[in-house]
Amino acid sequence: MALQDEHAAGAKAPAARFQDEGSAIDWSERSDAPLLNLDLWPNRSLTVPGRKRVLWLMAAGFSVPLLPLTLTKVIWIPLGFCVTVLVALWYALRRNTADGRMVERVTLWADELRVERIEASGRVKRWRADPYWVRITLLEQGRPENYLTLKGGGREIELGAFLSPEERLSLAERLEDAIRTALRGAAP
Amino acid sequence: MADAAAHAHDQGKPDFFTRWFCSTNHKDIGILYLITAGLVGLISVAFTMYMRLELMEPGVQYMTDADGYPNGHIWNVMVTAHGVLMMFFVVIPALFGGFGNYFMPLQIGAPDMAFPRLNNLSYWLFVAGSSLAVLSVFVPGGNGQAGAGVGWVLYAPLSTSEAGMATDFAIFAVHLSGASSILGAINIITTFLNMRAPGMTLFKVPLFAWSIFITAFMILLALPVLAGAITMLLTDRNFGTAFFDPAGGGDPVLYQHILWFFGHPEVYILIVPAFGIISHVISTFSKKPIFGYTGMVFAMVGIAVLGFVVWAHHMYTVGMSKNAQAYFMLATMVIAVPTGIKIFSWIATMWGGVLDLRTPMLWAIGFLFLFTVGGVTGIVLSQAGIDRAYHDTYYVVAHFHYVMSLGAVFGIFCGIYYWIGKMSGRQYPEQWGKIHFWTMFIGANITFFPQHFLGRQGMPRRYIDYPEAFALWNYISSIGAFITFASFLFFIYIVWYTVRKGERVTEENYWNDPRGTLEWTLPNPPPEHTFETLPTREQWDKQEAH
Repeated sequence: MALQDEHAAGAKAPAARFQDEGSAIDWSERSDAPLLNLDLWPNRSLTVPGRKRVLWLMAAGFSVPLLPLTLTKVIWIPLGFCVTVLVALWYALRRNTADGRMVERVTLWADELRVERIEASGRVKRWRADPYWVRITLLEQGRPENYLTLKGGGREIELGAFLSPEERLSLAERLEDAIRTALRGAAP
Repeated sequence: MADAAAHAHDQGKPDFFTRWFCSTNHKDIGILYLITAGLVGLISVAFTMYMRLELMEPGVQYMTDADGYPNGHIWNVMVTAHGVLMMFFVVIPALFGGFGNYFMPLQIGAPDMAFPRLNNLSYWLFVAGSSLAVLSVFVPGGNGQAGAGVGWVLYAPLSTSEAGMATDFAIFAVHLSGASSILGAINIITTFLNMRAPGMTLFKVPLFAWSIFITAFMILLALPVLAGAITMLLTDRNFGTAFFDPAGGGDPVLYQHILWFFGHPEVYILIVPAFGIISHVISTFSKKPIFGYTGMVFAMVGIAVLGFVVWAHHMYTVGMSKNAQAYFMLATMVIAVPTGIKIFSWIATMWGGVLDLRTPMLWAIGFLFLFTVGGVTGIVLSQAGIDRAYHDTYYVVAHFHYVMSLGAVFGIFCGIYYWIGKMSGRQYPEQWGKIHFWTMFIGANITFFPQHFLGRQGMPRRYIDYPEAFALWNYISSIGAFITFASFLFFIYIVWYTVRKGERVTEENYWNDPRGTLEWTLPNPPPEHTFETLPTREQWDKQEAH
């Protein structure tokens, strides 16, 4: 499940390196505790220990033809190919995990809703709006199914496009509940 | 974050050149693999027609010099080209590149392969390799003639001493094929391991996707070793090394060991994806879930693992110690256990089911019967003692054609009839499919079954001619080959007709399989982009608990 309050192992958020150009939103740190803090990230089915197991398995497989050739000159050419393939597999698995390593961070206070998206490259995109005016739209029909958007602050953004439709549905419900509670709490 | 509706943004339809020549879409690349493999298959089969024509009568009638003398070099070139093309450029690209690319990501709910551009590179390396392999028939080779006549196994010292550049072309062709397959395998392993739909644990993955993953693992383990072996051939040929030359301290038997360390798993690389297709087809047309899913997965894993420790059963006659022969003999026979589990499970799936004998099911049952025949002759050949008599006879030719020509190739046809409606949006004419099946089933059996008799009578492989005592079964075998070829040409027409004029299929799950995998939730043909949004569990988790 890629929708949790805390980071899960293997889905560490990338370091924020640079901001979206032209972003002039007031993003000053707030000391008051948020009412809701959600991190969303894409699904990746291989864990880090899983990746290590695959690579060890591969290395063990290569040892079958290579061990009998040890201490002979014949080993060098097959060894070169095998090591190259092993490194290529390691790189591919790592790169694919990194490509999917992005996080959308949703933070809600009674008077502010923030969404921060940190992409795999380190690019950061930000959006904020007053929860009172935020409109949550869930397009149940069409493609992608349960397409979720937030409208506010003069802009409409998509949220959790990489999640499964059921996850987006539960995200929308949770967000609506949280905003309703927040507004009720904020009311005089 | 992306602004809303970025997903819905219509990127427009790519033009023909962009779509088919610069494609990064796994479905388009899968179709390209299938079409190219089909064309190369036609060339490769045409070579065999020439060979069967020559073998139809004793004496040499067609492969002669200008002055009428037999020309054995042409024969050797045909044998080499047929083997190289079929092993590297037809069966792997069709099953692993074609169906694997198209359906594995769909079945696990991935939007595409992990590395779409790498996928494109794999395909074009395969095309370049195929071109080199075909060219190796025409460029200057040994005996002052065109073409490489060294056999697909490229055994030293023949391959290191054959003159001309044709053998180098063949070696480079295999190198390119290897690079293509390795890149494809890395892509498939990454996709399978990292991009499965949420909740789809390994033992929830459909059997075809499993078969492709296991094949990718075997490719990744076997092909770098082959690349090492043929690189040493190249340096022996061109740079004066002596890896396989006894005069320089080398050992030609070492080449055979390294080659067959790749070569035996290669057999399973060809057949395991067919296992995956057959499992789905038998389940669909028996209207029952597959029997013993977990056993089926572990049987494939077992076959793959054992496939790496039995290679020297191809080399009983090179002078190995008795202990080594005893080990390889026993290890080989053990493979019958996981293979038996698979055959048993397929039959158990059909048992008590409501069988619907549509064309894909006919191919699947045909596969089952013929692969079993090929497997049983494999057990015969695994005996080191019996192999003394059968080694390099037509018995071996019959055995491996039953496994590959009648096994893997039947798997390809089975997959095409099963999925062509999904891929093209049009359905093949059912009667024509059945005619194709029966003509090919009968033709291929008439071709290869008599070769068991020829082998038992002692007819050796790789010769252009034979004594008159072998004439009858050779004649019959050639008749069978012509029937098979006619059937193949009819199949090409069926595909052309289906794609152009076949009846449109609008129903997504047109075989009405209640346990259908994810590709059956998509339109026919699927849209350019699929599963950009993750599929729901109800869409794929339809099997009973296993």
